[in-house]
Amino acid sequence: MLLPVFTLKLRHKISPRMVAVGRYDGTHPCLAAATQAGKVFIHNPHTRSQHFSASRVFQSPLESDVSLLNINQAVSCLAAGALNPELGYDALLVGTQTNLLAYDVYNNSDLFYREVADGANAIVLGTLGDISSPLAIIGGNCALQGFDHEGNDLFWTVTGDNVHSLALCDFDGDGKKELLVGSEDFDIRVFKEDEIVAEMTETEIITSLCPMYGSRFGYALSNGTVGVYDKTSRYWRIKSKNHAMSIHAFDLNSDGVCELITGWSNGKVDARSDRTGEVIFKDNFSSAVAGVVEGDYRLDGHVQLICCSVDGEIRGYLPGAAEMRGNLMDTSVEQDLIRELSQKKQNLLLELRNYEENAKAELSSPLNEAEGQRGVIPANTKLHTALSVNLGNETQAAHAELCISTSNDTIIRAVLIFAEGIFLGESHVVHPSIHNLSSSIRIPVTPPKDVPVDLHLKTFVGYRSSTQFHVFELTRQLPRFSMYALTSPDSASEPLSYVNFVITERAPRVVIWLNQNFLLPEDTNIQNAPFQVCFTSLRNGGQLYIKIKLSGEITINTDDIDLAGDIIQSMASFFAIEDLQVEADFPTYFEELRKVLVKVDEHHSVHQKLSADMAENSNLIRSLLVRAEDARLMRDMKTMKNRYMELYDLNKDLLHGYKIRCNNHTELLGNLKAVNQAIQRAGRLRVGKPKNQVVTACRDAIRSNNINMLFRVMRVGTASS
Amino acid sequence: MDLNLNRADYLQVGVTSQKTMKLLPASRHRATQKVVLGDHDGVVTCFGMKKGEAVAVFKTLPGQKIARLELGGVLNTPQEKIFVASGSEIRGFTKRGKQFLSFETNLTESIKAMYVSGSDLFLSASYIYNHYCDCKDQHYYLSGDRINDVICLPVERLSRLTPVLACQDRVLRVLQGSDVLYEVEVPGPPTALALHGGNGGDSGEDLLFGTSDGKLGIIQVTTAKPIHKWEIRNERKRGGVLCVDSFDIVGDGVKDLLVGRDDGVVEVYSLHHANEPVLKFDQALSESITSIQGGCVGKDGYDEIVVSTYSGWVTGLTTEPVHRESGPGEELKISQEMQNKISSLRSELEQLQYRVLQERERYQQASQSSRAVFAVPSFSINDKFTLNKDDASYSLILEVQTAIDNVLIQSDVPIDLLDVDKNSAVVSFSSCDSEAPLTPARMAHLPFSASRVASHFQLCRTPPLEVFLRCRHRCVISFSKPFKKSNDNFLLATYRCQANTTRLELKIRSIEGQYGTLQAYVTPRIQPKTCQVRQYLIKPLSLHQRTHCIDHDRPVNTLTLTGQFSFAEVHSWVVFCLPEVPEKPPAGESVTFYFQNTFLDTQLESHCRKGEGVFKSDNISTISILKDVLSKEATKRKINLNISYEINEVSVKHTLKLIHPKLEYQLLLAKKVQLIDALKELQIHEGNTNFLIPEYRCILEEADHLQEEYKKQPAHLERLYGMITDLFIDKFKFKGTNVKTKVPLLLEILDSYDQNALIAFFDAA
Repeated sequence: MLLPVFTLKLRHKISPRMVAVGRYDGTHPCLAAATQAGKVFIHNPHTRSQHFSASRVFQSPLESDVSLLNINQAVSCLAAGALNPELGYDALLVGTQTNLLAYDVYNNSDLFYREVADGANAIVLGTLGDISSPLAIIGGNCALQGFDHEGNDLFWTVTGDNVHSLALCDFDGDGKKELLVGSEDFDIRVFKEDEIVAEMTETEIITSLCPMYGSRFGYALSNGTVGVYDKTSRYWRIKSKNHAMSIHAFDLNSDGVCELITGWSNGKVDARSDRTGEVIFKDNFSSAVAGVVEGDYRLDGHVQLICCSVDGEIRGYLPGAAEMRGNLMDTSVEQDLIRELSQKKQNLLLELRNYEENAKAELSSPLNEAEGQRGVIPANTKLHTALSVNLGNETQAAHAELCISTSNDTIIRAVLIFAEGIFLGESHVVHPSIHNLSSSIRIPVTPPKDVPVDLHLKTFVGYRSSTQFHVFELTRQLPRFSMYALTSPDSASEPLSYVNFVITERAPRVVIWLNQNFLLPEDTNIQNAPFQVCFTSLRNGGQLYIKIKLSGEITINTDDIDLAGDIIQSMASFFAIEDLQVEADFPTYFEELRKVLVKVDEHHSVHQKLSADMAENSNLIRSLLVRAEDARLMRDMKTMKNRYMELYDLNKDLLHGYKIRCNNHTELLGNLKAVNQAIQRAGRLRVGKPKNQVVTACRDAIRSNNINMLFRVMRVGTASS
Repeated sequence: MDLNLNRADYLQVGVTSQKTMKLLPASRHRATQKVVLGDHDGVVTCFGMKKGEAVAVFKTLPGQKIARLELGGVLNTPQEKIFVASGSEIRGFTKRGKQFLSFETNLTESIKAMYVSGSDLFLSASYIYNHYCDCKDQHYYLSGDRINDVICLPVERLSRLTPVLACQDRVLRVLQGSDVLYEVEVPGPPTALALHGGNGGDSGEDLLFGTSDGKLGIIQVTTAKPIHKWEIRNERKRGGVLCVDSFDIVGDGVKDLLVGRDDGVVEVYSLHHANEPVLKFDQALSESITSIQGGCVGKDGYDEIVVSTYSGWVTGLTTEPVHRESGPGEELKISQEMQNKISSLRSELEQLQYRVLQERERYQQASQSSRAVFAVPSFSINDKFTLNKDDASYSLILEVQTAIDNVLIQSDVPIDLLDVDKNSAVVSFSSCDSEAPLTPARMAHLPFSASRVASHFQLCRTPPLEVFLRCRHRCVISFSKPFKKSNDNFLLATYRCQANTTRLELKIRSIEGQYGTLQAYVTPRIQPKTCQVRQYLIKPLSLHQRTHCIDHDRPVNTLTLTGQFSFAEVHSWVVFCLPEVPEKPPAGESVTFYFQNTFLDTQLESHCRKGEGVFKSDNISTISILKDVLSKEATKRKINLNISYEINEVSVKHTLKLIHPKLEYQLLLAKKVQLIDALKELQIHEGNTNFLIPEYRCILEEADHLQEEYKKQPAHLERLYGMITDLFIDKFKFKGTNVKTKVPLLLEILDSYDQNALIAFFDAA
C-alpha cells in the first residue's frame, strides 16, 4: 500500500488544471497554482526567510510560505519551465483570455507580456520540431501560437476549433517533438510544426492530453473518458461517470514505464497501467482533484507525484519500491486472483446450467403463450436490421432510419442503442408502450455531424407478457454521409459553389466509395463514367452534386464548405491519396468572410479608440481625485462634493465604456474565430502538401492584410498566380 | 477503532438467503469450527478449512431453494443439529450430514423464517406463524403484515415460551400461545432478530433487532411491557440490517455486536461501556451480507467474523495477521498454498471452459432447427425499493449474483433519477419521444434529466423555455408549449455498469399525485444474454410512510367514501394509493392506518370498513390527490362510489406554517451558500475576517458544513415551491375555481418570500 510521503493543507483554493511546479530560483521546486480572484499563488516551503517582495507579488496573509501574484484577470492556463535556456531557472507563464505573461519569479520581473487576441485556453512549454529555442505554445480560439523567451511569435497556425488541450510528444519517433492539439470539435490533431500529420476523432471535447513515452500519449474527454493512444490507434479507454480533471504520466510502481495518473472530479486519484488501463493504485481526496504534477518537492533527489485538490490539499507520493512488485493496492494479489477465478467459475457453471435448462425446455411441450412468459422463444428467431433514408413528412423531419425486425411472431420489447456522439448521452432507448408492441421497430437517427458511427444495438426480444427477454446484441455502422438522400438531378437547383479536382481512380472504385459512405437505395444502379449523382441534405435541404468525367475529373457542387472538405478528406483516405490540389469556389461563403474581415478591422479600430478613451479618463480620475482631496484638506466641502460628483459621473462613463469594450471584444473574438475557421476549412479542401501550403499562404495574406490574395489562395490553393 | 481484521475468502456456493449460514459448535475453545450453509440451489454445504483449503464434510443434493438454516439440539447441550427450511418442508441433518428429519408442514406458502429451540419449532410464512412441538401443531397466528423474522426468548432461562415476530409494519409482535401479548413499536420495518449476547443478555429477555432502514436496537421483552434499552440511528446512511450476532471479537471479555448489512457493510460495535454501543470496526464488501457469525474457521487460535454474501461467498474477517507481516519462511509456505489453490482453480476452469464451448456450439446449432426453442436462463435478482425518510426519496437497490452489464430504467410517471456517490455506472438519459428524430433543439428540452430542470428553475426566474415545475398539476410558468407525453415513457435511462458491479443503487424522487410504474430491465454479463424486468409501483401518495401515532389536534380535512363495497375492496384502494400497506386486508371488521408525509410532515389517517372509507389529513393536497385517484379508479372499474369531503380552511394556513420553517431554512441556506465564495475571496484579500460582521464570519466558519448540507438536498427548494403551488391550486379546486393563471403571481411572492404575504395571498386569491 502506497502512502503519501507528505500532505499539506493550504488555505487557498486551487483552480482546476492550473497547477505547475517549477524551480523559479534554479534549485528549489515551488508549486504555482491559480486561485480565486485572478491570483496565482506560489508555495515555497524551502526558503522560509526569504520572500519575494515587490509590486506584483505580495505575501499571502493566510500562510507564511505562500506568495500571491496578482493577475487581475481570470487565469485560463498556467505553466512553468525553462523558457530561456541561458537563464538557468524556470519561468512562470500565465495565460488569460486576452494575454500571456511570462514571469521571472526570482527577479520579480516580466520576461514578456503579449496581447493574444485569440485567448489562451491551454499552454505547453518545450521545443517543437526543428525550432531551436523552447517555445511557450498557447492554444486559443482556433489558433495556435508559440512564443520564445523574448516574446517573439515564432510559430502560428490555425486549427479546426477552439483549443482545449495541448501536449508535446514525439509522435512519429523522429526524435523531434510534435504538437498534439485537442479541440472543441472532438478532434485530436498532430502538428509537425505547422503541418497536420494526423487527426483522430474522439467522441467529446478533449480536455487534457499528456505525453507518456515514445509515441504514446494519454487523453481525457469531458464526458469522463480517459485513455491512451499509441500514434493514431487507441490502446485502451475507460469511461467513468466522473470527470477527469487532470492527467499526468508518472512511473509510480518503478517498473520503468509511466502509468497514466488521473485526478477525478470526485476526488479520486488513480494510476492505470499504460498497456491495459488496469488500476494499480488509487487514493481519495475529500474534494475534486485540481491538478496532478511531479517534482522533487522534498529536495531529497527523488521525484514525487504531487496531487492537489481544489480545496488546497496537496499530497506527494514517492514511487513504490521495486520489491513491492507493483503491489500498491491494499488487498493481496492472490486473494483477488482467487476471487476473480472463482467468479469466472461461477459464471461458467451458470452458463452451463442455462444450457442444461434450455435442453430440458426443448424436451418439454411445444411452444405456447405461457412459455412465452418465461421467455422461451423459437430457436430460429433471427433479427434483421436495415438502414435507410426517410424523407419525413409534415410531422416528422427527414432522418436516417434504422429498422429492426424479428423473423417470427416474437416482439421487440425495447431497443438500446449505444453509440457515441450522435445522442445526448451515450445511449438511446426505444421502449414502445405495451399496446404498440410488434415484431419490428423503426428508429429515427439523426447524427449531428458527418462521421461514421458504430451503433451497438441491444434488442430485447420475447413475447408480450414476458418478464424475461433474450438480448440480441449486434453492431451496425452508420455511414459517414447518412444524412444525405439520393435525389434526381435538377440542374436549376445546382449550387454555384464547387470544388474541382482530378483523381486517378476508375469510376467503379468511386461507386464503391459512394456505397460505403452514403445510404443508397438498394436498387441504385450507377453506370460507368461519366456520371453524376445528386443528394439532398436531410438537415437543411441543401443540394450536393458529385460529377465524374471520363478523365477522372471530379466536381462536387455544394454550398457547404465543410461538407466539401469532409468528402475530399473521406475520398483521400479511401483512395489513399497523399497529395491533392483542388480548385474551389464558394461565392456566398467568401462574401460572408469578406464581411467578417471588414468587421474585424472595424472592431480593431473601435478597440483602439476605446483604449485611448479609457487612458484619458483614468488620467482625469487621477487629477479629479487629487483635486477633491485638496479641497477636503482646504475644508472646502462644496468643491469637494462637486469633484466627487464629477468623479462619480466619470466612473459611470468608465463602466459604460467597459461594457462596450466587452461587447466589442466578444464580437471580435467571434469574428476572429470565423476567420481562423475559414483558413482551416480552405485547408481541409486539400490533402497533404497543398493543404499546408494553403494554410501558410492564407496566414501570410492575413498578415499582409491582403484580402484579395486570401481569397485567391482559398480558390486555387497557391499564392502565386 | 483499534480493531484490525483481514479478509480471507473461503468458498463460493450458490446464491444465499438471509440467515442461512451457521458455524457448528467447536469441540474446545478456539478450535476451528465447521461452516454449514444452504443456498438457492437447495444444497446444504458443510465444510472446514484445512491448510487454507476448504474441505467439504458433506454436501446434499440440489432441491428447493433454502430460505433459512438454524442449529438446534436438546436444550443445554451443544446445538449441533442442522435444521433447514425449504419450500414448506423442514429437514434436519446431523453434523455428519445424515438426515434425521423430514417434516412436511401443512403450510400453503413457503417458509420465510424459522427458529429452533429444543423440540420447539417456530415457523413463519409471509403472514402466517406456526408453532410446532415435536412436529405437532401447537399454536397459530395470522399477522396483519408480512413477517420478516421470528425468534423465541430462551426457554432454558425463562421457562416460558415467548415467541416474537418481526413484522413489516414496524412492529414486533410478542406472542403467548396463539395470541398477541403486546406489540412493540420499532423505528423501522424490522428485518432481523437475535437474542442479545446469544442468550438474551442479563435478564434473558433482551432482544436485538435490526431494521430495513439500517437502525439497530435492544428491547427487553418482559411479561408485562417492553423496555427500550438503546437504539443506534443510521446516521451514516448505511444499508438495511440483514443479520446480527454477538461475539467477543475485540477480546475484552464482553460480547460485541456484529452487524451485516444489505449494502455489504460489516460492522462491529463494542458494548463495553455501560451498554452504550461504540463502533469499533467497519468494512464494506461489495454485496449484501446475508449471514454473520463470530467464531474460528481459518486457523485455530484466531477469532474471526464469518460472513456469507448474497452471491454465496463465505468470507472470514480474521484477527490472524496477514502473511506479509509474519516470518519470512511462513510467507513462502502460505503463498505456496495459494499457488496450489490458484492452479487447481485454473485447471478446473479450463475443463469448464471446454464444456461450455461444446454446449455453446450445440446451442448455436439449435438455431438452425425450426422446432427447437431458446429458453431464457433465469437468474435471481435481489431487489429493494424503499422510501428514505431523510430526503423523501426512493432508493432502488438491484443485486445480481453475477456482474451486471447494463440496467434500463423506464418509467411512465415523471420522476427524477438522482446521482448516488457509491454507484460507478455511467448513466445516460435518452429522449422519450421516439416518434420524432432527435434534433439538437429537442435534446436541449429533455424534460427529466435531473439536473437540467433544477438548473433551469434555479437560474431563470422568468424562463423563456418550457420549464417543468415539480408539481403534479402540470402548470408551468410562462411556458411556450405544454409538455407532451408519448409512448408512456417519461423516463428512459441506461446505466452501463463497470466490470464486476454486482450491486447497483439508484435514487428516485417522485412527485405525489403522479402515479404509475417504474420498470428496471436488468441485463447481467452472462451468456446467453438475457434480461429480466422488475416492476415497482409509484403510488399516488408515494411520499407517505406508515407511522404509529399522529397528532389528533391538527385541523383536518375529511374525505368520506360510501357505497356498496366490501371491506376487501376498500382496503385494496388504500393499497393502491399508499405504500407500506399489507396487501391482504387484516382480520377484523375495520382497520385504521396512520401515515406521515416524509417531506412535509403532514399526516393522514385512513379508516376503512365495509361500505365506508374515511380519510383525514391536515394537508388539503393529500385529500385532493385521494379524491382524484379514487374517483378515477372507481369510474374505471364502474363502481358506484359516493365521495364527499369536508374542507377545513384553517388547515391550509396550518400546512403553510408547517412548510414555513423548512422553506425559510432552505432559502437562508441557499443565500448563505451563495455568499461563501465571495467571502472567501475577501478573506484571501484581507488576510483576516475581523472586518466582517459576525453573521458573515459565521458563514465562513461554517462554510464546509453549509455546502455539505446544501449538496445533500438537491432541488429541495423547488420541491417545496411545487408543493406550495399544488396546495394553492388544490385549495381553490375544492371551491370550484381554477387559479392556474395566478401561479406566476404566486411564484413571484415565493421569490421574495414572506410568510405573512404568502398566507395573505392564499386568503385573498
